Amino acid sequence: MIESVASPRAIIVRGAGIASAESSKLQIADVAVEDGVITRLGEDIGDCEGAIELDGRGKVLLPGLFDMHVYSREPGEEWKETIQSGTEAAINGGITGVVTMPNTVPAVDNGGMVQSVLEIAGRSSRIPLFAAGCITKDRGGRDLAAIADMREKGAVLITDGGVPVSNALVLRRAMEYARDFDLLVGSHCETMELSGKGAMNEGAVSFRLGIPGMPACGEEICLARDLRLAQFTGARVHLQHVSTARGLNTIRRYKNEGVKVSCAVTPHHLIFNEADVGDYNTHFKMSPPLRTEEDNARLIEGLKEGVFDVIATDHAPHANFEKAQDFASAPFGITGLETALVSLYHYFVRKEVFGWDVIVKHYSAGPRSLLKLPPAEIREGAAANFVLFDPDKTTTFTRDSMKSMSSNTPFLNCELNGSVEHVVLNDRLLK
Amino acid sequence: MTGHKDLLDIGSLTRDEIEFLLKTAQPFKELLRRSVKKVPSLQGKSVLNLFYEPSTRTRSSFEIAAKRLSADVTNFAVSTSSVVKGESILDTIDTLQAMRVDYIIVRHSQSGVPNLIARHSKASVLNAGDGYHAHPTQALLDAYTLREVIPESTGKKVLIVGDLLHSRVARSTSEILEKMDVQVGVLGPGPLIPEMRPDYFKTFCSFDDALAWKPDVIYLLRIQLERQEAQFFPSLREYHRYFGVTGERLKRIAGEGIYVMHPGPVNRGVELVDEVMSYERCLINQQVENGVAIRMAVLYWLKPETGTGGAS
Repeated sequence: MIESVASPRAIIVRGAGIASAESSKLQIADVAVEDGVITRLGEDIGDCEGAIELDGRGKVLLPGLFDMHVYSREPGEEWKETIQSGTEAAINGGITGVVTMPNTVPAVDNGGMVQSVLEIAGRSSRIPLFAAGCITKDRGGRDLAAIADMREKGAVLITDGGVPVSNALVLRRAMEYARDFDLLVGSHCETMELSGKGAMNEGAVSFRLGIPGMPACGEEICLARDLRLAQFTGARVHLQHVSTARGLNTIRRYKNEGVKVSCAVTPHHLIFNEADVGDYNTHFKMSPPLRTEEDNARLIEGLKEGVFDVIATDHAPHANFEKAQDFASAPFGITGLETALVSLYHYFVRKEVFGWDVIVKHYSAGPRSLLKLPPAEIREGAAANFVLFDPDKTTTFTRDSMKSMSSNTPFLNCELNGSVEHVVLNDRLLK
Repeated sequence: MTGHKDLLDIGSLTRDEIEFLLKTAQPFKELLRRSVKKVPSLQGKSVLNLFYEPSTRTRSSFEIAAKRLSADVTNFAVSTSSVVKGESILDTIDTLQAMRVDYIIVRHSQSGVPNLIARHSKASVLNAGDGYHAHPTQALLDAYTLREVIPESTGKKVLIVGDLLHSRVARSTSEILEKMDVQVGVLGPGPLIPEMRPDYFKTFCSFDDALAWKPDVIYLLRIQLERQEAQFFPSLREYHRYFGVTGERLKRIAGEGIYVMHPGPVNRGVELVDEVMSYERCLINQQVENGVAIRMAVLYWLKPETGTGGAS
């Protein structure tokens, strides 16, 4: 077990603006935490003996974030990331809970593997970690994984992580089976035949660079299929990392019809587009790929409007030698846990594109509610679970400053506005 | 005109730089026809041919060009090197860097490999063809050949026929033509014409329509038989019939005095019938000859950052 920075009896944050899911306005107040519980919240709450005092003036206090799309790489690919380094990266970014994808070696496709992941987390993670299991054995798309067994051992979600279940009949059966065990089915929407050897969005930029493209319609078609199957089977389906405006429109339509479906967007699909690939920069290669400027605008609208339930990073660490290849040969994926909150502040909250409420709603409350976990709340009587964010400071993301073992992020060596100053979980000051 | 460190694509060249390179190639072409075909411009410099993809013509063309400029040329045989033992591209480049080569001529099956090498190397990197991306010296030699037969090329029309999707030649050559204010038409089976193509491509669906546009040059692309992992058209027979220069089409082409170009090597009976090779306005061999002159001009122009001073 890693020692926390401190485990004082009490922590007091004075004068911070408290963010909530309900309003973009911040409520200025003092917060006192005693023995891991918020005991007082308001003006002039007095002192606590032996308390750590945090100066919150000019800063924002928001509920601990929750990222439901993280690749931990352990077991099997520990040169990229471990559960320990990944969860430390999460803490560094203001995230106090994660769901790890089943793409480990071996894959998490049975109850025993769920148990092992949770055991590793139990001894090496300072934040709660929840495991996702596979839909099909070894993510092969053919035979159903041990869905009920994984559920019993604690899996909160099933997904083949990074690939779709291409066979619609297999997916239908998985949905029908998972439905009765009340397990959320996570869908990576991509028509693999249309993607082929594609490595970026098919468009003007892929043509110029001579990189085989992954057409937007490949996502849209698979998404329409999965939505219809969700409606047909009545399963709870979660559409991961939606990257296309048309795909989002289809989701909007099904939601209006009352289908039990949720969806997520990554910070990078809100911020970047295909033009950012530039001179074959592999830190902009991920799946689904970055689309167009128009897609950025529509996805931001979708987030503000609430069509998106969740923000999740799709944190996918890769070692430097793996990304330092030509664009087509480099693996898909970028890290995101440490940069997510700062980048969302830098690009959107700071510019008043949307308020703190959007972040709290979709990056803290949304995923926890979807997974039927208790919310992180800043109110008297609640367990302490919050982040103190300083909008006036900046963060430069360097290999040394990041806790992740990998630094495959578009923000490497970039200076952004905002800084995660402190993270408190229960009675511990994690950062 | 100050030389660049690298030549990776046509997009990074200005119109003036293109004109300069075309002009510089002129005396080199004359030199090639003399009995003593050598100048000392790159004496003491080392040029490395790093070909990850099989090539005879382009590699020989670069080798001859470098030797005519008195450079020392090494052919890095990839199939027998440590690359097959799994050495990464950048490790290979570090090794070559330690050997102090001044120019690296790269061909690779993946787009962007020359860009990757250029970022990590002080030697000048010359792209000899990467994936579907670019083949800038081919584009320059095509432009040079076009100018030889049509000196006033502004506003003229070039019809590019074939596999536009997988062709680095098509990308680079169409780009240079556009920069030279030459109109570009394209013709080929639908699946081989990219959906997201540049606006300046004028697209045709049949050879008849394309000929009615009255092109000055027909540029045939090679059908890359080795690259047909998926089926893009029903058969070579159908390709030849609808998109090839058949005997009948050659008659029309000859009647209208249209030039024919092809980057080689040709697939006889697919892109064209045998008779095209002996057609008086077929420029294929002229393209090959000009290739050496253009590559000499490019090597002469580039400025490596490997030591004090570049080429004289």
